[in-house]
Amino acid sequence: MNTVLMDNRPAQTQSAPAIAIRNLDFWYGENHALRGISLDFPTRQVTGMIGPSGCGKSTLLRILNRMYDLYPGQRAMGEVLFDGRNILSPGIDVNVLRSRIGMVFQKPTPFPMSIYDNIAFGVRLHERLSRTEMDQRVENVLRRVALWGEVKDRLNASAAALSGGQQQRLCIARTIATRPEIILLDEPTSALDPISTARIEELLDELKQEFSIAIVTHNLQQAARCADRVAFFYMGELVEVDTADKMFTAPHEKRTQDYITGRFG
Amino acid sequence: MSAQKVQAGATSGWQRGGAQAVRRRIVERLVNVLCGIATVVVLFLLFSILWTLVTRGAAGLSLSTFLHSTAAPGSGGGLANAIVGSCEQTMLAALLGTPIGMLTGIYLSEFSHDGKIVSFVRFVSDMMLSVPSILVGLFVYLVVVEPAGHFSGIAGTLALAILFIPIVVRTTEDMLHLVPRAMREAAYALGAPGWRVIVSICLRAARGGIMTGILLALARISGETAPMLFTSLGNLNWSTNLNAPMASLPVTIYQYAGSAYDDWVQMAWTGALLITVAVLATNIFARWWLSRNGTASS
Repeated sequence: MNTVLMDNRPAQTQSAPAIAIRNLDFWYGENHALRGISLDFPTRQVTGMIGPSGCGKSTLLRILNRMYDLYPGQRAMGEVLFDGRNILSPGIDVNVLRSRIGMVFQKPTPFPMSIYDNIAFGVRLHERLSRTEMDQRVENVLRRVALWGEVKDRLNASAAALSGGQQQRLCIARTIATRPEIILLDEPTSALDPISTARIEELLDELKQEFSIAIVTHNLQQAARCADRVAFFYMGELVEVDTADKMFTAPHEKRTQDYITGRFG
Repeated sequence: MSAQKVQAGATSGWQRGGAQAVRRRIVERLVNVLCGIATVVVLFLLFSILWTLVTRGAAGLSLSTFLHSTAAPGSGGGLANAIVGSCEQTMLAALLGTPIGMLTGIYLSEFSHDGKIVSFVRFVSDMMLSVPSILVGLFVYLVVVEPAGHFSGIAGTLALAILFIPIVVRTTEDMLHLVPRAMREAAYALGAPGWRVIVSICLRAARGGIMTGILLALARISGETAPMLFTSLGNLNWSTNLNAPMASLPVTIYQYAGSAYDDWVQMAWTGALLITVAVLATNIFARWWLSRNGTASS
Protein backbone atom coordinates (compact mmCIF):
# COMPACT_ATOMS: atom_id res chain seq x y z
CA MET A 1 0.00 0.00 0.00
CA ASN A 2 1.22 3.48 -0.73
CA THR A 3 2.15 6.13 1.77
CA VAL A 4 -0.66 8.51 0.85
CA LEU A 5 -3.17 6.02 2.24
CA MET A 6 -1.16 5.55 5.42
CA ASP A 7 -1.36 9.25 6.24
CA ASN A 8 -5.13 9.21 6.49
CA ARG A 9 -5.24 6.52 9.13
CA PRO A 10 -6.13 7.24 12.73
CA ALA A 11 -3.16 7.52 15.03
CA GLN A 12 -4.10 4.43 17.11
CA THR A 13 -2.98 2.01 14.42
CA GLN A 14 0.58 2.99 15.12
CA SER A 15 0.52 1.32 18.54
CA ALA A 16 1.02 -2.42 18.98
CA PRO A 17 -1.96 -4.50 17.83
CA ALA A 18 -4.12 -6.26 20.44
CA ILE A 19 -3.85 -9.46 18.46
CA ALA A 20 -1.47 -10.25 15.63
CA ILE A 21 -2.19 -13.28 13.45
CA ARG A 22 0.69 -14.68 11.42
CA ASN A 23 0.42 -17.40 8.76
CA LEU A 24 -2.59 -19.06 10.29
CA ASP A 25 -4.04 -22.24 8.80
CA PHE A 26 -7.08 -24.08 10.09
CA TRP A 27 -8.64 -27.47 9.39
CA TYR A 28 -12.04 -29.00 10.13
CA GLY A 29 -10.87 -32.59 9.83
CA GLU A 30 -9.66 -32.77 6.22
CA ASN A 31 -11.28 -29.50 5.23
CA HIS A 32 -8.69 -26.74 4.95
CA ALA A 33 -10.89 -23.85 6.10
CA LEU A 34 -8.37 -21.02 6.51
CA ARG A 35 -5.20 -20.54 4.49
CA GLY A 36 -2.21 -18.41 5.38
CA ILE A 37 -4.07 -15.67 7.26
CA SER A 38 -2.03 -12.73 8.59
CA LEU A 39 -4.02 -9.97 10.19
CA ASP A 40 -3.68 -7.39 12.97
CA PHE A 41 -6.46 -6.34 15.31
CA PRO A 42 -5.57 -2.80 16.43
CA THR A 43 -5.99 -1.91 20.08
CA ARG A 44 -9.25 -0.17 21.02
CA GLN A 45 -10.65 -0.26 17.52
CA VAL A 46 -13.43 -2.20 15.88
CA THR A 47 -12.25 -4.65 13.24
CA GLY A 48 -15.07 -5.85 11.03
CA MET A 49 -14.86 -9.19 9.21
CA ILE A 50 -17.02 -9.64 6.14
CA GLY A 51 -17.37 -12.21 3.40
CA PRO A 52 -19.83 -14.73 1.99
CA SER A 53 -21.07 -17.66 4.10
CA GLY A 54 -18.43 -20.30 4.62
CA CYS A 55 -15.54 -17.95 3.88
CA GLY A 56 -13.94 -18.61 7.28
CA LYS A 57 -14.63 -15.37 9.14
CA SER A 58 -16.50 -17.04 12.02
CA THR A 59 -13.88 -19.78 12.07
CA LEU A 60 -11.20 -17.16 12.55
CA LEU A 61 -13.14 -15.61 15.43
CA ARG A 62 -13.48 -18.99 17.14
CA ILE A 63 -9.71 -19.50 16.92
CA LEU A 64 -9.03 -16.32 18.85
CA ASN A 65 -10.57 -17.73 22.07
CA ARG A 66 -9.64 -21.35 21.28
CA MET A 67 -13.33 -22.28 21.00
CA TYR A 68 -12.38 -24.89 18.44
CA ASP A 69 -10.67 -26.82 21.27
CA LEU A 70 -14.11 -28.15 22.25
CA TYR A 71 -14.34 -30.14 19.05
CA PRO A 72 -11.90 -32.93 18.29
CA GLY A 73 -10.70 -32.99 14.70
CA GLN A 74 -10.41 -29.22 14.46
CA ARG A 75 -6.86 -27.88 14.47
CA ALA A 76 -5.00 -24.65 13.89
CA MET A 77 -1.40 -24.00 12.80
CA GLY A 78 0.47 -20.74 12.78
CA GLU A 79 0.78 -17.90 15.25
CA VAL A 80 -1.81 -15.84 17.06
CA LEU A 81 0.09 -13.39 19.24
CA PHE A 82 -1.71 -11.89 22.21
CA ASP A 83 0.08 -10.15 25.07
CA GLY A 84 3.42 -11.57 24.03
CA ARG A 85 2.41 -15.20 23.68
CA ASN A 86 1.15 -17.48 20.93
CA ILE A 87 -2.30 -18.49 22.14
CA LEU A 88 -2.23 -21.61 19.97
CA SER A 89 0.62 -23.08 22.00
CA PRO A 90 -0.33 -25.93 24.34
CA GLY A 91 0.89 -24.16 27.48
CA ILE A 92 -1.90 -21.57 27.33
CA ASP A 93 -4.58 -21.81 30.05
CA VAL A 94 -7.69 -21.56 27.87
CA ASN A 95 -9.92 -20.57 30.79
CA VAL A 96 -7.73 -17.57 31.56
CA LEU A 97 -7.47 -16.81 27.84
CA ARG A 98 -11.26 -16.82 27.49
CA SER A 99 -11.62 -14.46 30.44
CA ARG A 100 -9.27 -12.04 28.68
CA ILE A 101 -10.84 -12.50 25.23
CA GLY A 102 -14.62 -12.56 25.63
CA MET A 103 -17.16 -13.63 23.04
CA VAL A 104 -20.74 -12.75 22.16
CA PHE A 105 -22.72 -15.10 19.94
CA GLN A 106 -25.23 -14.80 17.16
CA LYS A 107 -28.22 -15.84 19.20
CA PRO A 108 -28.65 -14.47 22.71
CA THR A 109 -27.80 -17.27 25.13
CA PRO A 110 -29.03 -16.34 28.60
CA PHE A 111 -28.18 -19.00 31.18
CA PRO A 112 -31.09 -20.63 33.00
CA MET A 113 -30.70 -18.42 36.06
CA SER A 114 -31.50 -14.91 37.26
CA ILE A 115 -30.34 -11.76 35.50
CA TYR A 116 -27.98 -11.09 38.39
CA ASP A 117 -26.50 -14.60 38.34
CA ASN A 118 -26.05 -14.49 34.57
CA ILE A 119 -23.48 -11.76 35.15
CA ALA A 120 -22.10 -13.07 38.43
CA PHE A 121 -21.49 -16.55 36.97
CA GLY A 122 -18.58 -15.43 34.79
CA VAL A 123 -17.11 -13.11 37.41
CA ARG A 124 -17.12 -15.84 40.09
CA LEU A 125 -15.07 -18.08 37.83
CA HIS A 126 -12.10 -15.75 37.98
CA GLU A 127 -12.45 -13.43 40.96
CA ARG A 128 -13.53 -13.67 44.56
CA LEU A 129 -15.65 -10.60 45.25
CA SER A 130 -17.60 -9.56 48.33
CA ARG A 131 -21.35 -9.22 48.01
CA THR A 132 -21.11 -5.41 47.74
CA GLU A 133 -18.34 -5.57 45.15
CA MET A 134 -20.36 -8.04 43.10
CA ASP A 135 -23.46 -5.85 43.36
CA GLN A 136 -21.41 -2.94 42.12
CA ARG A 137 -19.93 -4.94 39.26
CA VAL A 138 -23.37 -6.13 38.15
CA GLU A 139 -24.84 -2.63 38.32
CA ASN A 140 -21.85 -1.17 36.53
CA VAL A 141 -21.95 -3.51 33.54
CA LEU A 142 -25.74 -3.32 33.28
CA ARG A 143 -25.47 0.47 33.15
CA ARG A 144 -22.82 0.25 30.47
CA VAL A 145 -25.08 -1.78 28.20
CA ALA A 146 -28.02 0.54 29.02
CA LEU A 147 -30.00 -2.28 30.60
CA TRP A 148 -29.91 -1.14 34.24
CA GLY A 149 -33.00 1.05 34.03
CA GLU A 150 -35.01 -1.78 32.51
CA VAL A 151 -34.01 -4.56 34.92
CA LYS A 152 -32.92 -2.95 38.19
CA ASP A 153 -36.18 -3.93 39.90
CA ARG A 154 -36.07 -7.56 38.76
CA LEU A 155 -32.45 -8.65 39.04
CA ASN A 156 -33.61 -11.92 40.57
CA ALA A 157 -36.06 -12.67 37.77
CA SER A 158 -35.17 -15.26 35.16
CA ALA A 159 -33.11 -13.90 32.29
CA ALA A 160 -35.22 -15.95 29.87
CA ALA A 161 -38.10 -13.50 30.39
CA LEU A 162 -36.19 -10.63 28.74
CA SER A 163 -36.75 -9.69 25.10
CA GLY A 164 -34.25 -10.81 22.46
CA GLY A 165 -32.54 -7.41 22.31
CA GLN A 166 -32.35 -7.20 26.10
CA GLN A 167 -30.96 -10.73 26.27
CA GLN A 168 -28.23 -9.85 23.81
CA ARG A 169 -27.30 -6.75 25.83
CA LEU A 170 -27.25 -8.95 28.93
CA CYS A 171 -24.86 -11.31 27.11
CA ILE A 172 -22.59 -8.36 26.29
CA ALA A 173 -22.78 -7.21 29.93
CA ARG A 174 -21.90 -10.73 31.04
CA THR A 175 -18.90 -10.72 28.72
CA ILE A 176 -17.51 -7.36 29.83
CA ALA A 177 -18.10 -8.25 33.49
CA THR A 178 -15.08 -10.57 33.44
CA ARG A 179 -13.02 -7.54 32.31
CA PRO A 180 -11.64 -8.86 29.05
CA GLU A 181 -9.24 -6.90 26.89
CA ILE A 182 -10.80 -8.04 23.64
CA ILE A 183 -14.40 -8.76 22.71
CA LEU A 184 -15.28 -11.06 19.82
CA LEU A 185 -18.75 -10.70 18.35
CA ASP A 186 -20.12 -13.33 15.97
CA GLU A 187 -22.97 -11.71 14.03
CA PRO A 188 -24.35 -10.27 17.27
CA THR A 189 -27.39 -8.59 15.72
CA SER A 190 -28.49 -11.02 13.01
CA ALA A 191 -31.24 -12.41 15.26
CA LEU A 192 -32.46 -8.97 16.37
CA ASP A 193 -34.93 -6.37 15.13
CA PRO A 194 -33.66 -3.04 13.67
CA ILE A 195 -34.17 -1.04 16.87
CA SER A 196 -32.31 -3.56 19.05
CA THR A 197 -29.62 -3.68 16.35
CA ALA A 198 -29.20 0.09 16.45
CA ARG A 199 -28.82 0.02 20.24
CA ILE A 200 -26.14 -2.66 20.06
CA GLU A 201 -24.28 -0.71 17.38
CA GLU A 202 -24.34 2.41 19.58
CA LEU A 203 -23.03 0.28 22.40
CA LEU A 204 -20.10 -0.95 20.29
CA ASP A 205 -19.08 2.63 19.62
CA GLU A 206 -18.90 3.23 23.34
CA LEU A 207 -17.21 -0.06 24.21
CA LYS A 208 -14.30 0.55 21.85
CA GLN A 209 -13.10 3.29 24.19
CA GLU A 210 -12.03 0.49 26.50
CA PHE A 211 -11.95 -2.76 24.52
CA SER A 212 -10.53 -3.99 21.25
CA ILE A 213 -13.40 -5.43 19.25
CA ALA A 214 -13.59 -7.98 16.44
CA ILE A 215 -17.00 -8.33 14.83
CA VAL A 216 -18.16 -10.78 12.17
CA THR A 217 -21.13 -9.52 10.23
CA HIS A 218 -23.15 -10.34 7.15
CA ASN A 219 -24.53 -6.84 7.15
CA LEU A 220 -22.24 -4.61 5.07
CA GLN A 221 -23.93 -1.42 6.27
CA GLN A 222 -23.21 -2.53 9.80
CA ALA A 223 -19.56 -3.07 8.96
CA ALA A 224 -19.45 0.38 7.35
CA ARG A 225 -21.17 1.98 10.36
CA CYS A 226 -19.32 0.27 13.19
CA ALA A 227 -15.91 -0.83 12.02
CA ASP A 228 -12.73 1.22 11.88
CA ARG A 229 -11.06 -1.42 9.77
CA VAL A 230 -12.66 -4.07 7.63
CA ALA A 231 -11.21 -7.40 6.51
CA PHE A 232 -12.74 -9.22 3.56
CA PHE A 233 -12.52 -13.02 3.50
CA TYR A 234 -13.23 -15.26 0.56
CA MET A 235 -12.96 -19.05 0.45
CA GLY A 236 -10.69 -19.30 3.47
CA GLU A 237 -8.37 -16.51 2.43
CA LEU A 238 -7.98 -12.96 3.62
CA VAL A 239 -8.43 -10.99 0.41
CA GLU A 240 -7.97 -7.48 1.70
CA VAL A 241 -7.95 -5.39 4.85
CA ASP A 242 -8.14 -1.63 5.10
CA THR A 243 -10.00 1.19 6.80
CA ALA A 244 -13.76 0.95 6.43
CA ASP A 245 -13.81 4.07 4.26
CA LYS A 246 -11.30 2.67 1.81
CA MET A 247 -12.88 -0.76 1.70
CA PHE A 248 -16.31 0.53 0.81
CA THR A 249 -15.24 3.30 -1.57
CA ALA A 250 -12.01 2.22 -3.19
CA PRO A 251 -11.10 -1.43 -2.58
CA HIS A 252 -7.97 -2.67 -4.27
CA GLU A 253 -9.10 -6.16 -5.12
CA LYS A 254 -11.71 -6.96 -7.74
CA ARG A 255 -13.21 -9.68 -5.53
CA THR A 256 -13.78 -7.16 -2.73
CA GLN A 257 -15.44 -4.78 -5.13
CA ASP A 258 -17.67 -7.55 -6.53
CA TYR A 259 -18.73 -8.58 -3.04
CA ILE A 260 -19.54 -5.14 -1.66
CA THR A 261 -21.45 -4.20 -4.79
CA GLY A 262 -23.51 -7.37 -4.41
CA ARG A 263 -22.25 -9.22 -7.46
CA PHE A 264 -21.85 -12.40 -5.39
CA GLY A 265 -22.24 -13.47 -1.82
CA MET B 1 -66.49 -10.41 -22.06
CA SER B 2 -63.19 -10.53 -20.29
CA ALA B 3 -64.90 -10.58 -16.87
CA GLN B 4 -66.93 -13.59 -17.99
CA LYS B 5 -63.76 -15.29 -19.09
CA VAL B 6 -62.13 -14.71 -15.72
CA GLN B 7 -65.16 -16.08 -13.91
CA ALA B 8 -65.24 -19.16 -16.08
CA GLY B 9 -61.55 -19.68 -15.46
CA ALA B 10 -62.07 -19.32 -11.70
CA THR B 11 -64.83 -21.93 -11.61
CA SER B 12 -62.83 -24.53 -13.46
CA GLY B 13 -59.85 -23.70 -11.23
CA TRP B 14 -61.81 -24.65 -8.13
CA GLN B 15 -62.73 -27.97 -9.69
CA ARG B 16 -59.06 -28.85 -10.06
CA GLY B 17 -58.27 -32.42 -9.10
CA GLY B 18 -61.78 -33.73 -9.75
CA ALA B 19 -62.23 -37.28 -8.49
CA GLN B 20 -58.89 -37.18 -6.69
CA ALA B 21 -60.01 -34.23 -4.59
CA VAL B 22 -63.28 -35.93 -3.70
CA ARG B 23 -61.42 -39.05 -2.65
CA ARG B 24 -59.08 -36.98 -0.53
CA ARG B 25 -61.99 -35.41 1.30
CA ILE B 26 -63.59 -38.80 1.95
CA VAL B 27 -60.31 -40.24 3.22
CA GLU B 28 -59.83 -37.27 5.50
CA ARG B 29 -63.27 -37.62 7.02
CA LEU B 30 -62.79 -41.36 7.44
CA VAL B 31 -59.47 -40.94 9.24
CA ASN B 32 -60.99 -38.27 11.48
CA VAL B 33 -63.82 -40.59 12.48
CA LEU B 34 -61.44 -43.51 13.11
CA CYS B 35 -59.22 -41.34 15.32
CA GLY B 36 -62.29 -40.22 17.26
CA ILE B 37 -63.45 -43.81 17.82
CA ALA B 38 -59.99 -44.91 18.93
CA THR B 39 -59.82 -42.04 21.43
CA VAL B 40 -63.23 -42.88 22.86
CA VAL B 41 -62.29 -46.57 23.23
CA VAL B 42 -59.06 -45.74 25.06
CA LEU B 43 -60.73 -43.22 27.35
CA PHE B 44 -63.59 -45.64 28.04
CA LEU B 45 -61.16 -48.40 29.04
CA LEU B 46 -59.14 -46.07 31.22
CA PHE B 47 -62.13 -44.64 33.01
CA SER B 48 -63.81 -48.01 33.45
CA ILE B 49 -60.64 -49.29 35.13
CA LEU B 50 -60.51 -46.24 37.36
CA TRP B 51 -64.22 -46.44 38.11
CA THR B 52 -64.05 -50.13 39.04
CA LEU B 53 -61.01 -49.47 41.20
CA VAL B 54 -62.60 -46.54 43.01
CA THR B 55 -65.97 -48.22 43.65
CA ARG B 56 -64.52 -51.56 44.73
CA GLY B 57 -61.44 -50.21 46.47
CA ALA B 58 -63.05 -47.35 48.38
CA ALA B 59 -65.43 -49.77 50.08
CA GLY B 60 -62.56 -51.25 52.10
CA LEU B 61 -60.79 -47.98 52.75
CA SER B 62 -60.68 -46.95 56.40
CA LEU B 63 -58.25 -45.66 58.96
CA SER B 64 -57.26 -49.20 59.92
CA THR B 65 -56.04 -49.76 56.33
CA PHE B 66 -53.20 -47.41 57.16
CA LEU B 67 -52.77 -48.32 60.83
CA HIS B 68 -52.89 -52.11 60.94
CA SER B 69 -50.79 -54.75 59.28
CA THR B 70 -52.18 -57.56 57.19
CA ALA B 71 -53.96 -60.16 59.29
CA ALA B 72 -55.54 -63.60 59.03
CA PRO B 73 -58.79 -63.86 57.06
CA GLY B 74 -61.81 -62.71 59.06
CA SER B 75 -59.83 -60.78 61.63
CA GLY B 76 -59.73 -57.34 60.03
CA GLY B 77 -56.31 -55.83 59.66
CA GLY B 78 -54.94 -53.36 57.17
CA LEU B 79 -52.16 -52.72 54.69
CA ALA B 80 -49.79 -50.69 56.86
CA ASN B 81 -46.90 -53.16 56.50
CA ALA B 82 -47.33 -53.30 52.71
CA ILE B 83 -47.56 -49.51 52.35
CA VAL B 84 -44.49 -48.90 54.49
CA GLY B 85 -42.61 -51.76 52.78
CA SER B 86 -43.40 -50.36 49.35
CA CYS B 87 -42.38 -46.85 50.34
CA GLU B 88 -39.17 -48.03 51.99
CA GLN B 89 -38.08 -50.16 49.05
CA THR B 90 -39.00 -47.74 46.26
CA MET B 91 -37.49 -44.73 48.04
CA LEU B 92 -34.25 -46.56 48.77
CA ALA B 93 -34.13 -47.82 45.18
CA ALA B 94 -34.59 -44.24 43.97
CA LEU B 95 -31.88 -42.96 46.35
CA LEU B 96 -29.55 -45.65 45.08
CA GLY B 97 -30.49 -45.35 41.43
CA THR B 98 -30.69 -41.58 40.97
CA PRO B 99 -26.99 -40.76 41.39
CA ILE B 100 -25.87 -43.80 39.38
CA GLY B 101 -28.40 -43.12 36.63
CA MET B 102 -27.70 -39.41 36.46
CA LEU B 103 -23.93 -39.81 36.42
CA THR B 104 -24.19 -42.40 33.65
CA GLY B 105 -26.53 -40.14 31.68
CA ILE B 106 -24.12 -37.23 32.09
CA TYR B 107 -21.28 -39.45 30.93
CA LEU B 108 -23.20 -40.54 27.84
CA SER B 109 -24.25 -37.02 26.93
CA GLU B 110 -21.19 -34.95 27.79
CA PHE B 111 -18.26 -37.28 27.17
CA SER B 112 -19.37 -38.61 23.83
CA HIS B 113 -15.92 -38.25 22.32
CA ASP B 114 -14.92 -41.65 23.72
CA GLY B 115 -17.11 -43.03 20.91
CA LYS B 116 -16.90 -46.80 21.40
CA ILE B 117 -17.30 -46.96 25.17
CA VAL B 118 -20.19 -44.51 25.05
CA SER B 119 -22.15 -46.42 22.43
CA PHE B 120 -21.50 -49.66 24.33
CA VAL B 121 -22.77 -48.19 27.62
CA ARG B 122 -25.79 -46.69 25.84
CA PHE B 123 -26.53 -50.06 24.23
CA VAL B 124 -26.37 -51.89 27.58
CA SER B 125 -28.52 -49.26 29.25
CA ASP B 126 -31.15 -49.48 26.51
CA MET B 127 -31.13 -53.27 26.84
CA MET B 128 -31.75 -52.94 30.57
CA LEU B 129 -34.66 -50.65 29.80
CA SER B 130 -36.44 -53.46 27.98
CA VAL B 131 -35.41 -56.48 30.08
CA PRO B 132 -38.53 -58.21 31.50
CA SER B 133 -38.69 -57.26 35.16
CA ILE B 134 -39.04 -60.89 36.26
CA LEU B 135 -35.55 -61.56 34.87
CA VAL B 136 -34.23 -58.77 37.06
CA GLY B 137 -35.91 -60.50 40.00
CA LEU B 138 -34.27 -63.82 39.10
CA PHE B 139 -30.90 -62.14 38.71
CA VAL B 140 -31.07 -60.58 42.17
CA TYR B 141 -32.32 -63.88 43.56
CA LEU B 142 -29.20 -65.63 42.28
CA VAL B 143 -26.80 -62.88 43.28
CA VAL B 144 -28.20 -61.78 46.65
CA VAL B 145 -30.99 -64.01 47.98
CA GLU B 146 -29.40 -67.40 47.40
CA PRO B 147 -25.95 -66.54 48.85
CA ALA B 148 -27.61 -64.88 51.85
CA GLY B 149 -29.92 -67.82 52.31
CA HIS B 150 -33.06 -65.72 52.81
CA PHE B 151 -35.33 -63.20 51.09
CA SER B 152 -34.87 -59.59 52.14
CA GLY B 153 -35.86 -55.96 51.64
CA ILE B 154 -32.31 -55.28 50.47
CA ALA B 155 -32.78 -57.69 47.59
CA GLY B 156 -36.11 -56.05 46.71
CA THR B 157 -34.51 -52.62 46.78
CA LEU B 158 -31.69 -53.79 44.51
CA ALA B 159 -34.11 -55.27 42.00
CA LEU B 160 -36.11 -52.04 41.88
CA ALA B 161 -32.93 -49.97 41.56
CA ILE B 162 -31.84 -52.05 38.56
CA LEU B 163 -35.16 -51.26 36.90
CA PHE B 164 -34.90 -47.61 37.96
CA ILE B 165 -31.41 -46.80 36.71
CA PRO B 166 -31.83 -47.21 32.92
CA ILE B 167 -34.90 -44.95 32.91
CA VAL B 168 -32.94 -42.20 34.65
CA VAL B 169 -29.95 -42.74 32.34
CA ARG B 170 -32.16 -42.29 29.30
CA THR B 171 -33.99 -39.17 30.51
CA THR B 172 -30.81 -37.52 31.81
CA GLU B 173 -29.07 -38.10 28.49
CA ASP B 174 -32.06 -36.95 26.43
CA MET B 175 -32.62 -33.84 28.52
CA LEU B 176 -28.93 -32.87 28.40
CA HIS B 177 -29.00 -33.28 24.61
CA LEU B 178 -31.76 -30.66 24.53
CA VAL B 179 -29.48 -28.04 26.09
CA PRO B 180 -28.49 -25.83 23.14
CA ARG B 181 -24.87 -26.05 22.03
CA ALA B 182 -24.78 -22.25 21.95
CA MET B 183 -25.51 -22.14 25.70
CA ARG B 184 -22.60 -24.47 26.46
CA GLU B 185 -20.29 -22.48 24.20
CA ALA B 186 -21.34 -19.26 25.87
CA ALA B 187 -20.35 -20.71 29.24
CA TYR B 188 -17.02 -21.97 27.92
CA ALA B 189 -16.46 -18.55 26.32
CA LEU B 190 -16.54 -16.97 29.79
CA GLY B 191 -13.66 -19.21 30.78
CA ALA B 192 -15.67 -21.85 32.66
CA PRO B 193 -14.02 -25.28 33.02
CA GLY B 194 -15.90 -28.28 31.64
CA TRP B 195 -17.25 -29.59 34.96
CA ARG B 196 -18.58 -26.16 35.80
CA VAL B 197 -20.41 -25.92 32.47
CA ILE B 198 -22.02 -29.32 33.10
CA VAL B 199 -23.02 -28.64 36.71
CA SER B 200 -23.97 -24.97 36.63
CA ILE B 201 -25.35 -24.64 33.12
CA CYS B 202 -26.35 -27.95 31.52
CA LEU B 203 -27.80 -29.73 34.57
CA ARG B 204 -29.51 -26.53 35.60
CA ALA B 205 -31.10 -26.09 32.19
CA ALA B 206 -32.18 -29.74 32.14
CA ARG B 207 -33.26 -30.06 35.79
CA GLY B 208 -37.01 -29.90 35.07
CA GLY B 209 -36.85 -32.75 32.59
CA ILE B 210 -34.50 -34.88 34.69
CA MET B 211 -36.69 -34.44 37.78
CA THR B 212 -39.72 -35.49 35.75
CA GLY B 213 -37.85 -38.58 34.55
CA ILE B 214 -36.98 -39.52 38.13
CA LEU B 215 -40.60 -39.15 39.25
CA LEU B 216 -41.88 -41.20 36.32
CA ALA B 217 -39.30 -43.89 37.05
CA LEU B 218 -40.47 -43.87 40.67
CA ALA B 219 -44.06 -44.35 39.52
CA ARG B 220 -42.97 -47.17 37.25
CA ILE B 221 -41.09 -49.20 39.91
CA SER B 222 -43.70 -48.67 42.61
CA GLY B 223 -46.04 -50.97 40.68
CA GLU B 224 -43.54 -53.77 40.02
CA THR B 225 -44.63 -57.18 41.29
CA ALA B 226 -42.64 -59.85 39.49
CA PRO B 227 -39.15 -58.90 40.72
CA MET B 228 -40.42 -58.59 44.31
CA LEU B 229 -41.63 -62.19 44.36
CA PHE B 230 -38.06 -63.45 44.06
CA THR B 231 -36.43 -60.86 46.26
CA SER B 232 -38.36 -59.39 49.18
CA LEU B 233 -41.01 -62.13 48.98
CA GLY B 234 -43.59 -60.34 51.10
CA ASN B 235 -44.22 -60.39 54.82
CA LEU B 236 -47.55 -60.76 56.62
CA ASN B 237 -46.26 -58.96 59.70
CA TRP B 238 -45.07 -55.48 60.40
CA SER B 239 -41.36 -55.22 59.54
CA THR B 240 -39.07 -52.42 58.52
CA ASN B 241 -35.98 -54.61 58.73
CA LEU B 242 -34.25 -54.53 55.36
CA ASN B 243 -32.44 -57.77 56.10
CA ALA B 244 -35.69 -59.71 56.41
CA PRO B 245 -38.52 -60.44 53.98
CA MET B 246 -40.55 -57.29 53.45
CA ALA B 247 -44.13 -56.68 52.40
CA SER B 248 -45.02 -54.50 49.44
CA LEU B 249 -48.33 -53.40 47.95
CA PRO B 250 -48.02 -55.17 44.59
CA VAL B 251 -47.09 -58.50 46.18
CA THR B 252 -49.89 -58.20 48.74
CA ILE B 253 -52.36 -57.47 45.93
CA TYR B 254 -51.06 -60.48 44.05
CA GLN B 255 -51.44 -62.78 47.04
CA TYR B 256 -54.79 -61.44 48.26
CA ALA B 257 -56.56 -61.06 44.93
CA GLY B 258 -56.15 -64.77 44.24
CA SER B 259 -57.26 -65.91 47.69
CA ALA B 260 -60.59 -67.53 48.57
CA TYR B 261 -61.45 -65.04 51.35
CA ASP B 262 -63.77 -62.13 50.57
CA ASP B 263 -62.13 -59.73 53.01
CA TRP B 264 -58.68 -60.45 51.51
CA VAL B 265 -60.01 -59.83 47.99
CA GLN B 266 -61.50 -56.58 49.24
CA MET B 267 -58.12 -55.64 50.71
CA ALA B 268 -56.48 -56.33 47.33
CA TRP B 269 -58.89 -53.89 45.66
CA THR B 270 -58.08 -51.28 48.28
CA GLY B 271 -54.36 -51.82 47.77
CA ALA B 272 -54.79 -51.50 44.02
CA LEU B 273 -56.64 -48.22 44.48
CA LEU B 274 -53.92 -46.88 46.78
CA ILE B 275 -51.12 -47.74 44.38
CA THR B 276 -53.02 -46.28 41.40
CA VAL B 277 -53.71 -43.04 43.20
CA ALA B 278 -50.06 -42.79 44.25
CA VAL B 279 -48.79 -43.40 40.70
CA LEU B 280 -51.34 -41.02 39.22
CA ALA B 281 -50.47 -38.34 41.75
CA THR B 282 -46.76 -38.77 40.98
CA ASN B 283 -47.44 -38.46 37.25
CA ILE B 284 -49.56 -35.36 37.64
CA PHE B 285 -47.02 -33.80 39.98
CA ALA B 286 -44.23 -34.60 37.48
CA ARG B 287 -46.13 -32.92 34.63
CA TRP B 288 -46.93 -29.91 36.76
CA TRP B 289 -43.30 -29.69 37.82
CA LEU B 290 -42.11 -29.83 34.21
CA SER B 291 -44.52 -27.13 33.08
CA ARG B 292 -43.44 -24.92 35.95
CA ASN B 293 -39.69 -25.37 35.65
CA GLY B 294 -39.71 -25.45 31.88
CA THR B 295 -37.57 -27.40 29.46
CA ALA B 296 -33.96 -26.84 28.56
CA SER B 297 -34.36 -23.95 26.15
CA SER B 298 -35.75 -20.66 27.32
